[in-house]
Amino acid sequence: MNPRPPLPPAWALRFLRSICPDRLAEEIEGDLIQKFESDVRRFGLSRARRRFEWNAIRFFRPGIVLRNKLTYHFINTIMLRNYLTIAFRNVTKNKVFSLINIFGLGTGLAVCLLIFQFVSHELSFDTFFDNADRIYRVTNDRFQNGKLIQHGTITYPTVGPTMAKDYPEIEMYTRVMPGGDLNVKIDDKIFRGDYCHYVDEHFLSVFSFPLLAGDRASALKEPYSLVLTESVAKKYYGVTDGDYASIVGKTLIWGLDTQPYKIAGVCADNPDNSHITFNVLVSYATLIRPEDHGADDSWTWSDFRHYIVLKPGVDYKAFESKFPAFSDRYFKGDKVSGSVEKFYLQPLKKAHLYSDYEYDIARTASGKAVWAMLIVAIFILVIAWINYINLTTSRALDRAKEVGLRKVMGALKTQLVRQFILESILISLIAFVVAVAITWASQSSFNEIVGSPLSMLKVLGEMQAPSIIIAVLVLVSGVLLAGFYPAFVLSSYQPATVLKGKFQHSSGGKFMRKALVVFQFTASATLITGTLIVSKQLKFMNDADLGIAIRNIMLVDPPELTAWDSTFMTRVENYKDELTKISGVVSAATSSRIPGNRLGRTFGLRLAEQPSDTHYTMSFFGADHNFMDTYDVPLVAGRKFLPTDHKFDFKAINSVIINQNAVELLGIASAQEAIGKEILDGDLKVRIVGVVGNFHQESLKKPMEPIVFVPTYSTYAETSIKIKTADPKPLIAQVEAVYKKFFPNNAFLYSFLEDRYNRQYNDEDRFAKVVTIFTLLGIIISCLGLIGLSSYTAVQRTKEIGIRKALGASRLGIVSLLSADFIKLVVVAIVLSFPLAYMAMHQWLSNYPYKIALQWTLFLLPAVTILVIAFATISFQIFKTARTNPADTLKYE
Amino acid sequence: MSKEYLGEFEELILTMVGVLQEEAYGAAIAEEIEKRLKRDVNLSAVHVTLYRLEDKGLIKSKVGGATSERGGRRKRIYTITSAGLALLRTMKETRMDLWKLIPQLKMSV
Repeated sequence: MNPRPPLPPAWALRFLRSICPDRLAEEIEGDLIQKFESDVRRFGLSRARRRFEWNAIRFFRPGIVLRNKLTYHFINTIMLRNYLTIAFRNVTKNKVFSLINIFGLGTGLAVCLLIFQFVSHELSFDTFFDNADRIYRVTNDRFQNGKLIQHGTITYPTVGPTMAKDYPEIEMYTRVMPGGDLNVKIDDKIFRGDYCHYVDEHFLSVFSFPLLAGDRASALKEPYSLVLTESVAKKYYGVTDGDYASIVGKTLIWGLDTQPYKIAGVCADNPDNSHITFNVLVSYATLIRPEDHGADDSWTWSDFRHYIVLKPGVDYKAFESKFPAFSDRYFKGDKVSGSVEKFYLQPLKKAHLYSDYEYDIARTASGKAVWAMLIVAIFILVIAWINYINLTTSRALDRAKEVGLRKVMGALKTQLVRQFILESILISLIAFVVAVAITWASQSSFNEIVGSPLSMLKVLGEMQAPSIIIAVLVLVSGVLLAGFYPAFVLSSYQPATVLKGKFQHSSGGKFMRKALVVFQFTASATLITGTLIVSKQLKFMNDADLGIAIRNIMLVDPPELTAWDSTFMTRVENYKDELTKISGVVSAATSSRIPGNRLGRTFGLRLAEQPSDTHYTMSFFGADHNFMDTYDVPLVAGRKFLPTDHKFDFKAINSVIINQNAVELLGIASAQEAIGKEILDGDLKVRIVGVVGNFHQESLKKPMEPIVFVPTYSTYAETSIKIKTADPKPLIAQVEAVYKKFFPNNAFLYSFLEDRYNRQYNDEDRFAKVVTIFTLLGIIISCLGLIGLSSYTAVQRTKEIGIRKALGASRLGIVSLLSADFIKLVVVAIVLSFPLAYMAMHQWLSNYPYKIALQWTLFLLPAVTILVIAFATISFQIFKTARTNPADTLKYE
Repeated sequence: MSKEYLGEFEELILTMVGVLQEEAYGAAIAEEIEKRLKRDVNLSAVHVTLYRLEDKGLIKSKVGGATSERGGRRKRIYTITSAGLALLRTMKETRMDLWKLIPQLKMSV
């Protein structure tokens, strides 16, 4: 006979045996070895070994592995019943404990389910468009005197067509200009306040909003054509039977326009995850005719948002690198528009979460906050699983005798592991049911906080294969990991020692449990510090001195349906006079914008004395002579506007007020010196009559800009009414009466400035609320874990305590002895949380130009809170132990 | 059983079990296919198919005696059942019926 035949790799054989059903393992191995032997003869040993390994790995397939499971169940059905019975008895034996365990895990899972919904909703924005992968927003940065003056999405109407002409990479482009409110009259019915966009004819081709009636390609071609959304069509024409084709061709009247608008199509309502939202689309040709020179071919009028669709396979980054040449060609440095123009592309899918643009019409949210929430969710889930591990192992004492007995009766370690894993799967399943119930119950309140109509079913329906796999993988691996550790700890007891009654844990297990507690409390302390800092920053922004008084201001919508004519200015003057006669009204003013609004910009300003190639950019604010008094804007130099500054003909206006930032921008040494200087804006020449202090026109998330105030009146100006009264209700009726008297036919709509101003902080409010809730949950779950652990230690040390007491230890001594161990862990956790929280919050605060300082006191308060909470949690158990009569615990010795 | 459907590979394996008689086990079948059809087959695929055919009742198996080859592992010998044979026959006849329907003229060129 030959010496020993060559052997296939041992690991591959082991692998085979582990995946193949026992019944089949032998023949499979045999076949593979036979193949291996023939391979050795044909290809030599090393190649045969490689082939063997590869062949063995290929046996890892459902047809083999699943066969395994069936046999597994077959073997274990008898024990399975027993396992289930024991598991059930264990759950019911200690109800409080089981409740804590299941509820803790369930809450953790529920939090994850909710956040998962939120995150997947945020990530799903704009993915529903057919061309979503190929649509890009054109964004535009402008530079003057070497400084960035605008980082926006708006650009010139000529850019789209010119780019499409110059670059074959572009398949399509579309232009959008927000048109504000659409106030329409159909027969005698008036409908107010439907938000519209002017869009060109390509809009519906670029964005595949489902069309219910009309033609996608031609609906927005003609001037005075409208496309309504489904709900607006229902509102205007009472369409109930879904026959939207029947209203195509009908007409309506918009505002003061005499030319009727024609309905050219109806599209489905905007999905909740669309970055662009509208009620009505108006054809671009209504706004600009192709023959309108100075408009459609304008290189200076920049109110248009551009979207382009790139041809398949075009790399947008490479394409973007052609834009500098484009700028040079058409903008010639700052010669054409007064600023140096740089263009970029932003993939549409990033528009919702990763936009920091000015004049953005997209619904945006902070991508960082979304990822932060996902991290918080994972934190909480891990805390919950750790808890489960801690609580389960802490009950080891109860189970030790069972394990010992099972082993004596012949149970294998693997069987015990299986038993305990089965138990943990069971508990996880119950917890999962609890989680679904909690999610279901809290869904509507959660939706209210995050402001999106979320639902689990919707998310599951929209979910794509990869995210489903990840979610399932996370859940399954979590359950298994959480089950494995206790299973191995419990199954490793030596029956002889356990059954004799001696029972000591390994120091490794102790360390593990302590590490888990430290992790939990580090996470909780970090969350508390984060919550505190977020809420401090919010309070700071809400309470900050804005430089302008926005409290107690009532706003009335502009009288858009009143014509602008020579009598308008006197009419507004009289209207304001009559308003101030109402008791409780302090003063009234009209202005083109109100605090909180984004201001428009003018790009070509300079002082008359400066050389003609100088360009400065300022925000533009149309205000009347009552504005500065109504809003308590402090005058620094010169005078405020006088009624005589207002002119019916805008071209005749010759006085302006600027703020201190504008003084600085123009390079004037002091406010005093600015008075009397002349400013040129194109052909217009105006004189500076006053300088006012800087104020926060927008939220504290934005810096304060240079502003030029121009004394204008307009039919689009809102009225700001400063009131001083305890109860504004009766006052509102009086204001309405005055408004109706001067502006008949206009609907009276009012609001309060503070509410509108604070809406700028919606994102922060939402973030703060969600983080607060999750922090609370995190703490609760951590404390549940601590309860488990403290009760475990207390039970373990019962005899020790008994002896100590018998020898005369005081209660206080016992309490401090027992608590010291835990408090040490919590202190370590707190110390670890400092750098974590500091880094996270430093990063978060860096988004705000005006922010709180990260003082050490901000970190101290959470530390104390956590300590108090932790002590309160364990004290119950500890005091109970300290109070026990040593006679009870020692009588069995 | 008339609705029973067999895939191409399943049919091939079933036929091979019939052909090889007492020598029909995983490795031999794979070898035979490679030899006769010049087609590379993977052992795991052969095994999975054999088990599936056994589940369907088309073949049955018994464990053979141990030998000194194959690392001392025993073989599992498969034999075709009468149901398997009947199915093979039906499939062949159906195919022949269809074959006759193809206009044969073009073939004689």
